[in-house]
Amino acid sequence: MNAPVALGIIAVIVIGTVVFALSSVRRFTMSPQEYIVGGRGFGAVFLWVLLAGEIYTSFTFLGAAGWTYSFGAPAFYIMAYGTCGYIFYYFLFPWIWRLGKEHELLTQPDLFHVRYGSRTLTTLVAIVGVLALVPYITLQLSALQIFLTVSGQGLIDPVLGAVVAFLLIIAFVFITGLRGTAWASIVKDALVIGALLFVGLAIPLQFFGSIPTLFDQVLRAHPDHLILGGLTDSKGSLWYVSTVLLTGLGFFAGPQSTNAIFSAKDENVLRRNAMFLPLYQIVMLLIFFAGFSALLIVPGLKGPAADQSFLAIVSRYYPAWVLGFVTGTGALCALIPSTALLLSSASVVAKNVAGDLFGIGLDEQGRLRTTRIMVVVLGLLALVFWLYYRTQLVNLLLLTYNGIAQFVPAFFFGCYWKRAAAPAITAGIAVGITLAVALSATRIAPFGINPGFVGLAANVLVVVAVSLATQPRPLEEVSAG
Amino acid sequence: MQRRLRFLLAAIPFGALSVAVPFVNHVEPRIFGLPFLLAWIAFWVLTTPVWVWTLGRIEGHW
Repeated sequence: MNAPVALGIIAVIVIGTVVFALSSVRRFTMSPQEYIVGGRGFGAVFLWVLLAGEIYTSFTFLGAAGWTYSFGAPAFYIMAYGTCGYIFYYFLFPWIWRLGKEHELLTQPDLFHVRYGSRTLTTLVAIVGVLALVPYITLQLSALQIFLTVSGQGLIDPVLGAVVAFLLIIAFVFITGLRGTAWASIVKDALVIGALLFVGLAIPLQFFGSIPTLFDQVLRAHPDHLILGGLTDSKGSLWYVSTVLLTGLGFFAGPQSTNAIFSAKDENVLRRNAMFLPLYQIVMLLIFFAGFSALLIVPGLKGPAADQSFLAIVSRYYPAWVLGFVTGTGALCALIPSTALLLSSASVVAKNVAGDLFGIGLDEQGRLRTTRIMVVVLGLLALVFWLYYRTQLVNLLLLTYNGIAQFVPAFFFGCYWKRAAAPAITAGIAVGITLAVALSATRIAPFGINPGFVGLAANVLVVVAVSLATQPRPLEEVSAG
Repeated sequence: MQRRLRFLLAAIPFGALSVAVPFVNHVEPRIFGLPFLLAWIAFWVLTTPVWVWTLGRIEGHW
């Protein structure tokens, strides 16, 4: 009986946001430059909103709380890695942006093509990057499905929820584009702050009286939940360090992040964002509070069900309109990043695979058409992935990082080491990705170290070794900053 | 010298949030009721803008 209220509120929030975004973008004509990199004119505030929209996704909302619920302290990595990412990319942003501006680039493989001049490398980066983003899109899709299923209170089964989620995402991408996404993020961020204060502060205060009391009770009931396990345990200290390094260094390595960097108006806009965005990470504390509260209030959720932990509190103890507000906000947190993810990966396929490799859709109209077709294809791929592989949301995110973090040497050495050339980088990515995938698939984690990090370490070694062993290219061929 | 200083300004918060964490993996002392590990991470996240601001200042960006 409550379901129509909650679902109705989700519909109002999503449709209201789309209308707001559309009324803001109508005055721009949608060329690929506009659609994919926002016309390269985003100032500091607008870029902040875009980045915050892309980074604080439904994963933040559900996945982080779910992991806090299931494991406790290992989830703290989520607050740390973004901050490490901002520090690292403070140094790389200007180089990436300048190459993008000088050569009017649209996609991440284009960037590597300008620096390394190898068709093999460009194609490899295009394919690995797009495939790596599929689990991340699946993450948004399954989060959206969770919001719909929980609000539907039995009316919507998970598979129907996932299909509806897929359709919503595709519709959202087609209607908004990147600039619309940034406008929609403004609405989203305001709602998110409200929803987070509610689930992360109001709920713990109401049930436990104060935050210190919450932690007293967690300590009594689950003494191991507040610290990491032993050095080499599964999700122990070495796991934490390797995971923060992997995901921190890989923080802006995905194709969607390169697009966001290109959309900046100038370099300082990016530096300022690297300085201020860590402040946003501090709201993760509220998510941890929500996860720990759920652990005490609704114990016993296992595996993927833990991702619904604090929603379970809301739907059990609060009126339907509160549930609708929280899930509606969550739905925006899934829809908005999906747009950026799908647009950037689809444009990579359209430009660097269909266009450059097969000569399909070479003019602007053709490019736009291929991009739109690929949005649907990649969305379907994410849906299929969801049907066959259901896991906790954090695992999907880490899967994505196993892939995109392998591009870190291509960025870093591309900027700082002229001697690094295409053969070395190509070999490094190939070795890194193979190792990361093989170790993850066989669930081998030597000393508890994150498999993606093992891949990244091997990747770096290969790049250094091959670069030193081969002749450096003459300087004038290298367009490094 | 200046190069080393810039590296240090970035490496301190980066290291505090990554490689230093196994050394602060304790519940006690609790800070404002938070377990020490969580308080440590929160502290470095909060102060990172100060380090990056100083870095940008030295490089002359603001």
